[in-house]
Amino acid sequence: MVARRRKCAARDPEDRIPSPLGYAAIPIKFSEKQQASHYLYVRAHGVRQGTKSTWPQKRTLFVLNVPPYCTESLSRLLSTCGLVQSVELQEKPDLAESPKESRSKFFHPKPVPGFQVAYVVFQKPSGVSAALALKGPLLVSTESHPVKSGIHKWISDYADSVPDPEALRVEVDTFMEAYDQKIAEEEAKAKEEEGVPDEEGWVKVTRRGRRPVLPRTEAASLRVLERERRKRSRKELLNFYAWQHRESKMEHLAQLRKKFEEDKQRIELLRAQRKFRPY
Amino acid sequence: MGPAPAGEQLRGATGEPEVMEPALEGTGKEGKKASSRKRTLAEPPAKGLLQPVKLSRAELYKEPTNEELNRLRETEILFHSSLLRLQVEELLKEVRLSEKKKDRIDAFLREVNQRVVRVPSVPETELTDQAWLPAGVRVPLHQVPYAVKGCFRFLPPAQVTVVGSYLLGTCIRPDINVDVALTMPREILQDKDGLNQRYFRKRALYLAHLAHHLAQDPLFGSVCFSYTNGCHLKPSLLLRPRGKDERLVTVRLHPCPPPDFFRPCRLLPTKNNVRSAWYRGQSPAGDGSPEPPTPRYNTWVLQDTVLESHLQLLSTILSSAQGLKDGVALLKVWLRQRELDKGQGGFTGFLVSMLVVFLVSTRKIHTTMSGYQVLRSVLQFLATTDLTVNGISLCLSSDPSLPALADFHQAFSVVFLDSSGHLNLCADVTASTYHQVQHEARLSMMLLDSRADDGFHLLLMTPKPMIRAFDHVLHLRPLSRLQAACHRLKLWPELQDNGGDYVSAALGPLTTLLEQGLGARLNLLAHSRPPVPEWDISQDPPKHKDSGTLTLGLLLRPEGLTSVLELGPEADQPEAAKFRQFWGSRSELRRFQDGAIREAVVWEAASMSQKRLIPHQVVTHLLALHADIPETCVHYVGGPLDALIQGLKETSSTGEEALVAAVRCYDDLSRLLWGLEGLPLTVSAVQGAHPVLRYTEVFPPTPVRPAFSFYETLRERSSLLPRLDKPCPAYVEPMTVVCHLEGSGQWPQDAEAVQRVRAAFQLRLAELLTQQHGLQCRATATHTDVLKDGFVFRIRVAYQREPQILKEVQSPEGMISLRDTAASLRLERDTRQLPLLTSALHGLQQQHPAFSGVARLAKRWVRAQLLGEGFADESLDLVAAALFLHPEPFTPPSSPQVGFLRFLFLVSTFDWKNNPLFVNLNNELTVEEQVEIRSGFLAARAQLPVMVIVTPQDRKNSVWTQDGPSAQILQQLVVLAAEALPMLEKQLMDPRGPGDIRMGPSENVALL
Repeated sequence: MVARRRKCAARDPEDRIPSPLGYAAIPIKFSEKQQASHYLYVRAHGVRQGTKSTWPQKRTLFVLNVPPYCTESLSRLLSTCGLVQSVELQEKPDLAESPKESRSKFFHPKPVPGFQVAYVVFQKPSGVSAALALKGPLLVSTESHPVKSGIHKWISDYADSVPDPEALRVEVDTFMEAYDQKIAEEEAKAKEEEGVPDEEGWVKVTRRGRRPVLPRTEAASLRVLERERRKRSRKELLNFYAWQHRESKMEHLAQLRKKFEEDKQRIELLRAQRKFRPY
Repeated sequence: MGPAPAGEQLRGATGEPEVMEPALEGTGKEGKKASSRKRTLAEPPAKGLLQPVKLSRAELYKEPTNEELNRLRETEILFHSSLLRLQVEELLKEVRLSEKKKDRIDAFLREVNQRVVRVPSVPETELTDQAWLPAGVRVPLHQVPYAVKGCFRFLPPAQVTVVGSYLLGTCIRPDINVDVALTMPREILQDKDGLNQRYFRKRALYLAHLAHHLAQDPLFGSVCFSYTNGCHLKPSLLLRPRGKDERLVTVRLHPCPPPDFFRPCRLLPTKNNVRSAWYRGQSPAGDGSPEPPTPRYNTWVLQDTVLESHLQLLSTILSSAQGLKDGVALLKVWLRQRELDKGQGGFTGFLVSMLVVFLVSTRKIHTTMSGYQVLRSVLQFLATTDLTVNGISLCLSSDPSLPALADFHQAFSVVFLDSSGHLNLCADVTASTYHQVQHEARLSMMLLDSRADDGFHLLLMTPKPMIRAFDHVLHLRPLSRLQAACHRLKLWPELQDNGGDYVSAALGPLTTLLEQGLGARLNLLAHSRPPVPEWDISQDPPKHKDSGTLTLGLLLRPEGLTSVLELGPEADQPEAAKFRQFWGSRSELRRFQDGAIREAVVWEAASMSQKRLIPHQVVTHLLALHADIPETCVHYVGGPLDALIQGLKETSSTGEEALVAAVRCYDDLSRLLWGLEGLPLTVSAVQGAHPVLRYTEVFPPTPVRPAFSFYETLRERSSLLPRLDKPCPAYVEPMTVVCHLEGSGQWPQDAEAVQRVRAAFQLRLAELLTQQHGLQCRATATHTDVLKDGFVFRIRVAYQREPQILKEVQSPEGMISLRDTAASLRLERDTRQLPLLTSALHGLQQQHPAFSGVARLAKRWVRAQLLGEGFADESLDLVAAALFLHPEPFTPPSSPQVGFLRFLFLVSTFDWKNNPLFVNLNNELTVEEQVEIRSGFLAARAQLPVMVIVTPQDRKNSVWTQDGPSAQILQQLVVLAAEALPMLEKQLMDPRGPGDIRMGPSENVALL
């Protein structure tokens, strides 16, 4: 990957900024003060024919290498190219839009951000071409839109990390209410079906019935098998017939042989490591 | 058709070695390649890695041959296991002398013989007139006092005989020594030569002349002097061949008197042969009082007379059986690994051979026994017999003219008489050396009985240097101080007996003094034996003080160590005066709670680390008081590493106290949790899950009280926010506590729902703790932080069945099976295994108070090497615990210093690739289970992490090393430990006091 990137850099010298093949690079800085900059690598989102993608063709800009400090300000920075419809940040490129479920902030803590990829959907296709021509450098933190850093950021992060117990309680209560309701419905349904044969005449047997049966778990079935085996072995006589006797002796010998073979191998290894030099 | 393929096969079979042979004999590089090729042919591809053995059914169940059955039976009877048998055979192969080398040595010996016999004689002169000696050679003896009667002339030896282990075939590589006895012709000696060192003077002159002539011979690579058995009155001449054989062999020439020259009755231990009038220039105080006996002097003379008879005795017994020879060779290796045979007064290989002879004569060893059984019997004998109290004798005759054993006990500390009944073989062995031998034998017997898998390795292959074997070590330096000590201890008769060797004269009394003073703090006191010097023939022999330092090793007893009080007798008892005299100014009269008034000594020690160093105070006080050795000469090495685990502001404590305070606070909290009212479910267990709660946090947390002016208040959440303009607040490490709630049908059976219910409990817990006990709490979805006495505890509510719920997977047929998932494993680790481990290690700390220090030093070192990221806290704790649970061949460490050294040793030598590290907490794993685990380990090696630690709770997965270290990081640690260990040991053994102990990554990190 690295090698390929270097090769591309050699191929288009007029661009100056090395970037992966097919991507345009936009320098991005945290603020005016920084000398060096990171680069966003952008290109129009496109997939091979036949591959499904939920991102609209032509209107979507695919951005690589989004620094962790410019998560929220990306749409603002790119809005100079055209109206931005949505910005989706992801750890890895993914063709499908991630399902928009409202994940609880209490129970699914945000991952520590690193460099990410982004899908920026513009309202018009012209936005994409404008973005590809963007020369930059983009500034993340400006006078009008400052981004917190250093001790300010830490203090605000800490303040955010302190949860509000009331909100947590409310969330737990609503979830549990819904859960209880769901369980109650399921139970009611199960009760209704109890003992009622389906169209082929089969009756479903559950644990809740009048005569509960074993739960259908692997552990339970293993337990049953084990019990069976033990019952059988209790009845068996050991060393009763001559062949049994002979066989158990042979088994002992085989064990010894196996052990001997193992030991020989170990010695061989130790000898190779010169482990028998006492000093 | 028949013969042709057979011929093909034959050619194929013989053809292979033919191809190999030239390659093996070629250059080294090629040879190596060939041998590795050979190995790959014999073995599956992965090199250096044990593979599970696969034998076909036909191979396993074929009819056994008679030979095989015999061998199997023999293995069972004569050896412990087939592995042990193979190991012993390998070891013997390694230390035995090959026939080829023997031939070379024999040739050299013949040359030596020819040359020695041809040395020209010199005319007779007075002993004091040594002008005839050529310029290039000095007399290898301190001639003090110089004046002595008698004449000397040189005549070639009457007889040259090879004596000692070389002929017996029990000498072991490396350092092959061949002892040659030169019988001096009778004309050289005169009557009364046994008196006043005259014999020894002549012996030395004899050697000096011999040395001068042999040194000119081109046959010898080096000719130099040394002492026979370190006895400084008896020099010997060392000859080494020139050229490539120089390292192969050392021939030692010992002149000896003609047989029957000395009358044994003159050399009894009660007789005097060094007159005070001659030695001190004055007769002993007061006329009429007898001359003090000189038992050691007499022994040294006697030793020269019996060289041949001992050889005969040994060869008649040992040559009869190979097993005995093997046994002696094994015993020599055993002694050497423990450094017991080195130096003056060591427990030499010769002594062990004689001991074997003794045991054969008492029928404790039979000649059909294997080498391993001989080793075992000798160790058993040593472990159970105290030769310092009950001496033994090889002499079978009950002649009344022979001296009694009691006489020998009076003169010597260890008694083992030879077959003549006149000579004590253990004359030079001190009581503490013998006790050390006994201690080692006892440990080894325990190891052999425990049926440990790698007993062989621990018994015979692991070196036990002093610094790693003893908890504390102290160096006495310079040795010239011991001369003053001898005068202070009034040891003039001993000096006269020893011919002025004040080091060995003072050794016995000093060790007795310290043993008495350290009393209950001490398990064993051992001393280093002065090394036997070698010097060029043109130089004077080295002085006694040149042997460097005297090192004492203390094996401490943890139970007695922590007491700050030496309780003496009651004040009105007669022993009180003795006690006062022993302790000097430190002894005080004290009144105790039970009303008794007693003499007592109280040492100042506030913290655990200071208490561990009380022996230092005892030693310096006693040495200064009784032996006139000032504090500057005593270099005590006990706590130089302590500074590394001291907190920033600590100066006197190594954090044990702070850890105890934190654990006590945790105990209070757990009691509060147990007694909490109003929780819907009761608390079923409260368990700590943090390094602090198992005493292994390197820097224990200090209680913090926030200064309110440094914070802004977030009112709605009742918390504090740091202010921008104030200094950064201190970081407080929260200590995790797992709080199990009882199982109940009310718990939901769905992972998401369980999470919500737990969160509800966290909230409720915070509420109740605040209401009922006024503690500041903060609840989140996964834990509740509680501020108690300045410590922060992080309480995590746990539900026993939750890992199982996370594991449940429903197959399409509706069958529910349990499969490990990342989340379930993590939860199980955090809520089940971690608390178990924490409590087990907490228990270990109660048994071994040094555990905390060792584990913390180890972690501190690993992190200072910048490798801390790769190792989970728990994995390092477990490695440290292994040092205490499996200390063999040592005893569990009682000081952080020695524990840390052994940690480095373990890490640098353990074969992680082929072995799991067993940490048998609470001794729950049986031997059979261990074998089973080991074979399971081999079968699943590729799937397991590079570092595998097995505990009774975690037999297969090695939970704590799953996430690291990687192979590279582990390798780096091994390399660094192997570098650091000799460096640190050298610093600690250097009596000028350890310099700086570098914890930081050494500069060679960049190189590696």
